[in-house]
Amino acid sequence: MDIILSLGAGFLEVFQPMNLLVMFIGLVLGMLVAVLPGLTLVMGVVLALPFTYTMGLLPSIILLTAMYVSGTYGGAFTSILFRIPGEPIDVPLLWDGYTMARNGQPAKALGWTLFAALCGGLLSATVMVFLSHPVAKFALTLSSPEYFAILLFGMSSVVSLGGGSITNAFISLFIGLLLSTVGVDSIYGAERFAFGVPFLQDGIEYLLVMVGAYGLGEVFTRLEKGFKGDDKAGNSDGKIATEFPTLAEVGQLKGTFFRSSILGIIIGIIPGAGATIASFVAYGAESQYGKRRKEMGSGIAEGIVAPQTAATSSVGGALIPLLTMGIPGSGATAIILGAFLLHGIQPGPQIFVSSGPMVYAIFASLFVSIIGMCILGYFAIKPLVKVLDMPEPVISAFVVMFCFIGAFAARNNLSDLYVITAFGVLGYLFEKFKFPIAPLVLGSILGPLAESAFMTMMVSENNDWTVLIARPVSATVMVMAVIALVYPIHRQLRERRAARADKP
Amino acid sequence: MLSRLQRAAPYIVLQICVMYFYHLATQFDFMAPPGRIGPDAWPKMILVLMGAACVYEIVKNLLVGESFSAAGLLDKLMTDAGAGEEAANQPSYPLRLWGGIGVTIAYILLIDTLGFFIASSTYLALFMAIGGYKRWRVIVSTSVLGSLVIMFIFMKIVYVSLPLGSGPFLTVSTALLTVMGVH
Repeated sequence: MDIILSLGAGFLEVFQPMNLLVMFIGLVLGMLVAVLPGLTLVMGVVLALPFTYTMGLLPSIILLTAMYVSGTYGGAFTSILFRIPGEPIDVPLLWDGYTMARNGQPAKALGWTLFAALCGGLLSATVMVFLSHPVAKFALTLSSPEYFAILLFGMSSVVSLGGGSITNAFISLFIGLLLSTVGVDSIYGAERFAFGVPFLQDGIEYLLVMVGAYGLGEVFTRLEKGFKGDDKAGNSDGKIATEFPTLAEVGQLKGTFFRSSILGIIIGIIPGAGATIASFVAYGAESQYGKRRKEMGSGIAEGIVAPQTAATSSVGGALIPLLTMGIPGSGATAIILGAFLLHGIQPGPQIFVSSGPMVYAIFASLFVSIIGMCILGYFAIKPLVKVLDMPEPVISAFVVMFCFIGAFAARNNLSDLYVITAFGVLGYLFEKFKFPIAPLVLGSILGPLAESAFMTMMVSENNDWTVLIARPVSATVMVMAVIALVYPIHRQLRERRAARADKP
Repeated sequence: MLSRLQRAAPYIVLQICVMYFYHLATQFDFMAPPGRIGPDAWPKMILVLMGAACVYEIVKNLLVGESFSAAGLLDKLMTDAGAGEEAANQPSYPLRLWGGIGVTIAYILLIDTLGFFIASSTYLALFMAIGGYKRWRVIVSTSVLGSLVIMFIFMKIVYVSLPLGSGPFLTVSTALLTVMGVH
């Protein structure tokens, strides 16, 4: 009952005109970055961060969360209509969404996408509301070995679930962790890897790592591959409409909706596995266990509903570990964590005690954002798709500009521009040599938390690291971390052996 | 052998960096109470693990000649979906890349002298041109108007103090701010 009352108060807060305005802006921006092939969702959220410096905490989080949620949906338009996935999340929508559109039912395909995003989003927001408080209560009982084990699990799942080879992902993570040690150590006051340079003594802000590697690095990579110039990415001049499925049609797919929502929420909770993996896994699950699994790929509704429901429902899931433990599970939630820290709030188990009304306002904003996103998607699809006509070199030049302003505005320090350019070049090199960027960024964010938990554990346990496997909760989490790492390696080695054995 | 060396080269470079940083970690200046680990323990642990990963890749690529690597789930899903094929066949424009990085560095070096508006409008125009965009009217208008709009938003609404430049450039920036009503 308390939860319902607090959520009601949260809704009242969200319906303040200023909050509604930033939510609307966030929804539009999220859809734009998802539609534009030159921009990724994470990059878009990074670029929005400097605009939040002078905002209050709640409008900042509402803006970024609205961008995050609508970014999981906007790219569906271009995937279905023009076979252009704005984000990797939207790749599974090509198989049935685009095929359904080619079969003469583009409006129906868009209607299924919209309904899937609405159902998945609302269900995950509901689960988030009811699950966050118990998770935060449980997190309060954890001490440093358990917390360190959870962080290790988070890092191992980022490595095993992300892109690139697992060894490269490890190296990327270690570089991120090492970057977080630069500066003056908080326990002993020792200078580490600062080379006597004043701005390095203050440490490397993970915001700079994120803006440089995700923003500039991506632009440099695309610059080398060649921007799309004047050629239109798709024909956005045709008739575009959305046709909702009937209740009877929805009823036939209730199993798909439920399965994909649950999968999306669970995958969202796991650090490192975001909307993209949720979308692919839900499509795979439907292809294996769905009623019409043999027709998948031929333009059926299940092939649209499964990935879109899972992608949007992963948002609510990803916000649970962020708010209750302060652990971001994806690039977008890492930036939302950055917004919290910029405003002096550390998300974690205490957040319900210290900032309860604000947390419920964030929950309420997610519900309103999801509904707003669907209304916007229904009415504004045509102008949104028009942005495909914008030339990529122009967009990219402004992306770089916003990266610079974002980095500069955080501390009003021109040295930070050198740092983000260095990370931009590093991000480009990572792309070139196939090192994933997500572990680098998450390593730089989780590094201080992991080091602090590790040092506290070692001091309180007299340097006995075996405590990690001696306590039931930490031992269970450590086993999960090992499984997360070993299972994909084992599976791929087995597949490789089987492929070799099949060769004559 | 050359292809093996090419594959191993990034890891050899990283391994050299790891050894250098490990050496630096042994030189940290601190006083830890007896029996307690110091601020060097955590970075040393990371460096040892990173070194082990690099050694594994060097041995695998250079000595064994094995190119197989276990991939993360997302990589496998994207490969299975054929999403990587298009990227592999894309053309490459290294001159554009180095040109882009060059003007970016020049922009950072000059922004404090030229001020935000002049440096940014020039940078935006050059970046668009290097990126292969050829409509000069669009380039000039978007870079000038874009810089003005950004300057207005950040200085008037978000209250970020952007660099104004020095000497005659400061006069230009100040005049623009006066016109915009920023005091």
